[in-house]
Amino acid sequence: MTQSRIDATQTRPPLWRNVTFLKWATQIGVLVGLVVLAWILISTALRNLEAQGLSLDWDFLTDPVGIRLGEGIFTQPASGLEAFATAIVNMLRVTASGIIAATILGVLVGISRLSSNWLLSRSATAFVETIRNIPLLIQIVFWFFLMTLFFPTLEVDASGPAPGWLIVSRKGVSIPWLFPTEVFWQWFVFVAGGAWAARRVYRRRIELLEETGRETHPGRWALGTFVLIAGLGWFAHPIAGALGWLFALVAAVIAAIPDFAFQLLFAAVSIWLGARWIRRFLDSRRTPAGLARLTDDDYFRMGLAGVLGLAGAAVFVAIPQITSLITDVAHFVFAFLDQKFDFLRTGVPLRLGRPEVVVPGRFPQIGDTGMTMTPNFFGLWVGVTLYTAAFIAEIVRGGILAVPKGQTEAGMALGLKRSQVLRMIILPQAFRIILPPMGNQYLNLAKNTSLGIAIAYAELVQVGQTLFNQTGDTIQVFLIWMAFYLTVSLVLSSIVNWYNRRVKLVER
Amino acid sequence: MADNGKRDIIICEDVKKWFGDFQALRGISTRVYEQEVVVIIGPSGSGKSTWIRCINRLEVHQEGRIIVDGIELTSDVRNIEQIRSEVGMVFQQFNLFPHLTVMQNITLAQTWVRKRTKAEAEEKAMALLERVGIPEQAHKFPGQLSGGQQQRVAIARSLAMDPKIMLFDEPTSALDPEMIKEVLDVMKELAQSGMTMLVVTHEMGFAREVADRVIFMDQGQIVEEGTPEHFFTNPQHDRTKLFLSQIL
Repeated sequence: MTQSRIDATQTRPPLWRNVTFLKWATQIGVLVGLVVLAWILISTALRNLEAQGLSLDWDFLTDPVGIRLGEGIFTQPASGLEAFATAIVNMLRVTASGIIAATILGVLVGISRLSSNWLLSRSATAFVETIRNIPLLIQIVFWFFLMTLFFPTLEVDASGPAPGWLIVSRKGVSIPWLFPTEVFWQWFVFVAGGAWAARRVYRRRIELLEETGRETHPGRWALGTFVLIAGLGWFAHPIAGALGWLFALVAAVIAAIPDFAFQLLFAAVSIWLGARWIRRFLDSRRTPAGLARLTDDDYFRMGLAGVLGLAGAAVFVAIPQITSLITDVAHFVFAFLDQKFDFLRTGVPLRLGRPEVVVPGRFPQIGDTGMTMTPNFFGLWVGVTLYTAAFIAEIVRGGILAVPKGQTEAGMALGLKRSQVLRMIILPQAFRIILPPMGNQYLNLAKNTSLGIAIAYAELVQVGQTLFNQTGDTIQVFLIWMAFYLTVSLVLSSIVNWYNRRVKLVER
Repeated sequence: MADNGKRDIIICEDVKKWFGDFQALRGISTRVYEQEVVVIIGPSGSGKSTWIRCINRLEVHQEGRIIVDGIELTSDVRNIEQIRSEVGMVFQQFNLFPHLTVMQNITLAQTWVRKRTKAEAEEKAMALLERVGIPEQAHKFPGQLSGGQQQRVAIARSLAMDPKIMLFDEPTSALDPEMIKEVLDVMKELAQSGMTMLVVTHEMGFAREVADRVIFMDQGQIVEEGTPEHFFTNPQHDRTKLFLSQIL
């Protein structure tokens, strides 16, 4: 009796009841389904495009275009590529400056809402409630019109244009600015080196402080080191021009090596990456006693990693264009860097530009000698900054409130001052709670910059629309839009996730 | 001066406290002498925790006087800081700083309040971790420790400030039964070493064994106080008898 029951558990169940088989079948089924679905969608789209006489060519990227952009690195782009490059730089400018400004403002407002000062906390509440309850589009248009309608008109006096220090007008706000010259990058080598050395010195002084307990002024030492090296570089930068030879050498080597060698190299790297992933995965599953039991899921993931590595290698070997694109870009980058460096090329790394009014035609304009904030940039930047700051303020407030009250009490009971408790105990913990939702707000800000089209700010959506109105290449532009916003979002979120993992609390 | 010739280190005179309309303390008057171990018991909501939290100003009393080691608790920030650095506190929920290692938890206030160097602070921390029996946990984070271990780290963190008085606010109430003993053992050792201790607890065994005096509180007042023998064998007050009959 007992014997037969043991037998029963040891016989394998039929395939349709076998968990292992079912899991594998589902995983592979889903994978095949996805591939088939993608293939159907893409082939249908291509067939229909062909039937309507539309083609998916990318010539518009290199062909000359007849558009003018409001602002940016190329205001009269020679090609679609230059137009997109300008639009992308403009978008990133708003995004980066918006993220910095919204973070600072949001944190201040968020802390203010918790203040015991009645006026301060009520003002902060009013700010949050007003800003987050008005649609962003309306706010952007509002700030744009605020500048274009209510700022003073741009005028030149009878003596003609002269450089000034500050221009505030309906056509923009312009301030003096330090612009990089052709030797800037040679100097920048010293600036970066100085920052690195300052970091080292700072850590060393901190170690010394902890060892001896004497005040070692780490901050002052670090600043001194940085200023010394950067200041030295201001005069010594022609030496760094020698780096140009290095970049030229790399560019020449890339050009000299035949493409099929790179193809094989990339294929090998692809296989190596797959193998490394599998090895690390196995390491992470290993227990001190040896290899832990792997689940079917684990086998599937390792199998998939292996297949992807091999598939990547196959793609590199089968399609040489991919490799030549990569080597072309690498060659371009190093050749570009080579131009920026020239041994013993002298000059001043930064040049002061003062804003001025020019009169190219009938009406005065702000010249490009200063740093100018156009009404379009102003409207979009202020709009997304305030809007995001309102949400960040709520996140910060929630994060601080989420730290248990006992933490403050424990700190106070040890005799720490209130400011020390806030700085060393509350904020580090609140920060960990705040970080993930903060990342979401950064993503929202980046995507919301596409509303710039409403006030003709030359960002990606506005420029893309102008382009496909001219060329009719709607689908390509849509693909570029999606690819770009996806890339920006993925980069932002992987930065936030990476940082989040780094600061996560250690628990069992 | 107390009867036994020891100096009074905590003096409470008619301490009253309200939370809104609710009066939590209805006039507490008592004195604690140096090296005395006082256990405070009573039903929940009787004001036990509120009272000992008043002693290091985590709660602010509204009437009466509290004098700790000769310094009166007023709204003078300097007095408050001075008293807090003399009085250690252990909480029911441990309240370790989860983003810092055990070692950092213990050295933080030493370096910032006592201005010790890192080496001194770490030496002190290791000695205290030895004393509470978990030197091997020094470089772990609080989240990796058991409840009993966390509470012992919390005790070490308070002791690192060389306090003259230790306050314990239900230190074993959040622990699993098998971990209660390891914390109580540390507290017993501390009491034997001559520390002045005020302990709010429901551990009657601890009260009987270690306390010099037991205080029974109800509805914001001290109902009865006395030695453990008196208290557990011959309570006078009806309310005390009722309470003891329910928990023993």
